[in-house]
Amino acid sequence: MLSQQILNGLVSGSVYALFSLGFTLIFGVQKLLNFAHGATFMAGAFIAYYCTISGLPFLLAIGFSMLATGLIAILIDLIAFRTLRNRGNAEFPALVSSIGVDLILVSIAQQVSKTQVLNFPFGTFPIKFYDLFGLRISLLQIVILAVVAVLVAALIFYLRKTTFGRQVRAVATNERAAALLGVNAQSVYLQTFFIAGALAGLAGVLIGLLFNSIQFLMGEPYMLRAFVVVVIGGLGSVQGAIVASLLLGVTQSLAVAYLPSGLTDAIIFGLLFLVLLVRPNGLFGDINAVAGGTRQ
Amino acid sequence: MIQFYYAYQPIIDFFLLSVGFGYSQQIALRAGVFSIATAGFAALGSYCVAILATKTGVPIFLTVILGTALAAAVGGLLALPLARLRGAFQAIATLAFVQIILSLLLYGEGFTGGALGIVGIPREVNTWILLIVVGLTMYVMWNIGRSGMGRVFNALRQEESVASSLGVNIGKYHIIAFIISGAVGGLFGGLQSLYTFQIEPHNYGFAFIVNVLTVVILGGRTTLLGPIMGALIMAILPEIARPLAEYRQAVNGVILILVITFLPNGVGDEIVFWFRRRKQARQQQQRASEKEARDAVS
Repeated sequence: MLSQQILNGLVSGSVYALFSLGFTLIFGVQKLLNFAHGATFMAGAFIAYYCTISGLPFLLAIGFSMLATGLIAILIDLIAFRTLRNRGNAEFPALVSSIGVDLILVSIAQQVSKTQVLNFPFGTFPIKFYDLFGLRISLLQIVILAVVAVLVAALIFYLRKTTFGRQVRAVATNERAAALLGVNAQSVYLQTFFIAGALAGLAGVLIGLLFNSIQFLMGEPYMLRAFVVVVIGGLGSVQGAIVASLLLGVTQSLAVAYLPSGLTDAIIFGLLFLVLLVRPNGLFGDINAVAGGTRQ
Repeated sequence: MIQFYYAYQPIIDFFLLSVGFGYSQQIALRAGVFSIATAGFAALGSYCVAILATKTGVPIFLTVILGTALAAAVGGLLALPLARLRGAFQAIATLAFVQIILSLLLYGEGFTGGALGIVGIPREVNTWILLIVVGLTMYVMWNIGRSGMGRVFNALRQEESVASSLGVNIGKYHIIAFIISGAVGGLFGGLQSLYTFQIEPHNYGFAFIVNVLTVVILGGRTTLLGPIMGALIMAILPEIARPLAEYRQAVNGVILILVITFLPNGVGDEIVFWFRRRKQARQQQQRASEKEARDAVS
């Protein structure tokens, strides 16, 4: 029972990781909170759903939805962030304008879905269960774990080993210095937004499959979870976000199983508060990135 | 006038409540604190009033005062852990605060009614009371703005290190800002519960946060006129944009993006700034012409 809960927690934690990675990537590079990330996630699930029911093969639908959410994220950067960023001191204004984008996307989704809960058609994904050391694990859960592991490894490789990744890290450290060395900061921003959007879109599809429900408000709880993840892991830290996501997933499923149900949120957000109090930079955060006094 | 009032009473009341919450949000932003805790304060105030009014015999007037005091005290306590955080981290921490309050309200079913909330709260508040309280709040805000405290808040918002080098105790003024924000939020939360006679936790969720932020962003973050203009736009807009009623949230979103991009100070602040600039220009002109006259005499 306990190990089953931990397994379920790891599965949902890995989806949190997929979602939070994009969020923390944007924060790491731009120092801006993207409140529209939850809406991008929701859009991913929606696009995949409508592609599937219009007859597209499911894998193609997922690919299409990742591409589309990546483009949506680029649009978010162009519309809501770029002007503010160029003006400087964009922390608060960007928060507000990304909330604006969130409202727009959620409202469109509400109209499109007519405020209904959508389900992927039966048989979109084969329902199979396996017994593994006495644990019940579904094919979907295995696929999710594998996909997330591959993508996370790819992302870390991308950030650490490729020229693009080095450019991203250079801009994250110091945009001006990077620009002086010939890095095109705008294209780095667009790239990070595309990656973040595509990952969020995939996370949306996976969550839509896992719980078999898609609705226009589904992004909000994940958005709030992402805050917990990035604070515990350290804003801007990729490894921290992964560890924190898994931790959060397990904590949550254990709290649901063994504690009074209504208290889960209070515990999770209490944890966030505690981390902010004791280690504002998060458990794996960069000590140099001061949580206080980031304003100039 | 009376007819106008009866026709638009709900909108007027909504406007007044929005102004109140707007001031709670504004005072924090004004002191350079990225707090979005107003929803939590409002929830505390309204639940305190609702519980006291429905379950005990405490006079209504006293319940509102207790609700205000509770929210103010929690605001002051909240400021202590937040003292180390700035910017985005502050926003996240206050968001977590709101979530904790909401989940505790959902959890404490015996006390707070859980997801169903509390019904049958005596309806003691009408437009006139709201008007008087908003007026009093404005008077307090006006005085804060004109006093040394207001100038300290402005300094903290514009450049914290300079304020600190001039001997401002940052922590102390952040606590004061949170206490005021909490008190105003709790006060109007309490009034809201006495006005709508039923409350539930999700009234104070993400939508509430967004609405309050919208009021202050549209209106302006520094002047007294700010929340009034913001709340006015938010109250009138749905009436004007009736054909777009289904896309109301989207319209709000578009307006938020446009205002923060092209009018970053907000409508109300821009109006006040325009008058100030005009006054200054006129004074300068006057001084110049006086000087000219003096030169001509000598």
